[in-house]
Amino acid sequence: MNVPVDPKTLVAEMTPVSTSEQIATMKKALLKSIQRSAYVYRVDCGGCNGCEIEIFSSITPVFDAERFGIKVVASPRHADILLFTGAVTRSMRMPALRAYEAAPDPKIVVSYGACGCTGGIFHDLYCVWGGTDHIVPVDVYIPGCPPTPAATIHGFAVALGLLEQKLKAETHVEAAGETAALPHPDIPYALRVRLEREARRMAGYRQGGDIAEEFMALLEGHAHTPGSFSLSERMMEAIGEERDPRRAEIIGRLADVVQQAVRGEAA
Amino acid sequence: MLKLLKEIFRTGEATVKYPFAPMPVCKDFRGKPEHKAEDCIACAACTVACPANAIQMETDTAAGTRTWSINYGRCVFCGRCEESCPTGAIRLSDDFELAVGSKADLTRKAVFTLADCACCGKPFAPAKEVDYVARLLSQSARGAEEADRLRLTASTCPACKRAQDVQQIAGMGIARQMEAGLSKAGKPAKELETTP
Repeated sequence: MNVPVDPKTLVAEMTPVSTSEQIATMKKALLKSIQRSAYVYRVDCGGCNGCEIEIFSSITPVFDAERFGIKVVASPRHADILLFTGAVTRSMRMPALRAYEAAPDPKIVVSYGACGCTGGIFHDLYCVWGGTDHIVPVDVYIPGCPPTPAATIHGFAVALGLLEQKLKAETHVEAAGETAALPHPDIPYALRVRLEREARRMAGYRQGGDIAEEFMALLEGHAHTPGSFSLSERMMEAIGEERDPRRAEIIGRLADVVQQAVRGEAA
Repeated sequence: MLKLLKEIFRTGEATVKYPFAPMPVCKDFRGKPEHKAEDCIACAACTVACPANAIQMETDTAAGTRTWSINYGRCVFCGRCEESCPTGAIRLSDDFELAVGSKADLTRKAVFTLADCACCGKPFAPAKEVDYVARLLSQSARGAEEADRLRLTASTCPACKRAQDVQQIAGMGIARQMEAGLSKAGKPAKELETTP
């Protein structure tokens, strides 16, 4: 009775909608000589609405996509461009296909946001198809979580053939004898760890790391330039130059850590 | 009417010039993650940290390579990769113009070679990572001999290290028994060196 189940047979596979040759040539002609506004219909396929907020902020006066004739319309029957957002939940597949079929040919399909492009952070969920291209043929992908209004405008320009895409697939192959440089070889490793830990404790991981980097550059600079300045004088100068009191406090704390380490005290 | 016109001129234009002029972004803007493959040691910290699995690694022991890849289409620009990177090889840049026509253009790859274990000769870790760890350890070593020993430890695979540990512990057991037996017999216990 217990026949091993092939997991692939449990997952439904759909044949994506394909476009005919005639429509492809029509689309090329449309892109070449689009003499009018491009109307956009937005299809929300189960997104978090972050993408929708960015789409609406790109038609506000600040970014004003309507100056290029890009207008959001209320019906897919008026649309030239279909904008699919969201990771395409199972229940949104049929409504999305209905919107696709309702739009007149030739139409441009844009996949918007990380979820629309590949399923994004939801790519391996059981309840999503994971990307617009699983159900309809996509012309342009606009990644981002969500894409900023400027990225949206750039994406529309790429979709309408006004701008070239910047990203290209690249493969780096490790060269012979390629080595990664050790950061700050002059500072003892134990001290480096203490400095980074303290800076990150005070300023958060990213900014703390940046401040620790700056501080260690300062420390190394001190080691390399022979002068009358002592370490503490140099640190006081750096703190005095700092405009931001929060950063000044952190740099002061890091200077204390260095002094402690020099005196041989434990952290 | 004149008042209104004055008000309009005073306010100026709110719309950005974006596609015709570069768009200024704010400090710490999280754009496209830029990977400097020269600085990367293929340690997979970013792969583990990436919540969306945009960064992935595939190891091919037959070919002796490890391939790092990022899919910008799946990236959620959280910056965890940048936080976890020990060498600062990945950094989120100001670039937000990521729209592409074909999905293949959204991926970027880097191929690294694997190092063979110094003991059993099987590939176990990226060569760059082993080299980096060895240099980092020998930086804090007290002498040249200790540095060499640390370098050997770094370039031995976990399975071989485990086997060596088992041997060492077994040796220690015998030594302890011998020590106990010798001291019972009234002879001075000899110091036995079992650990390196």
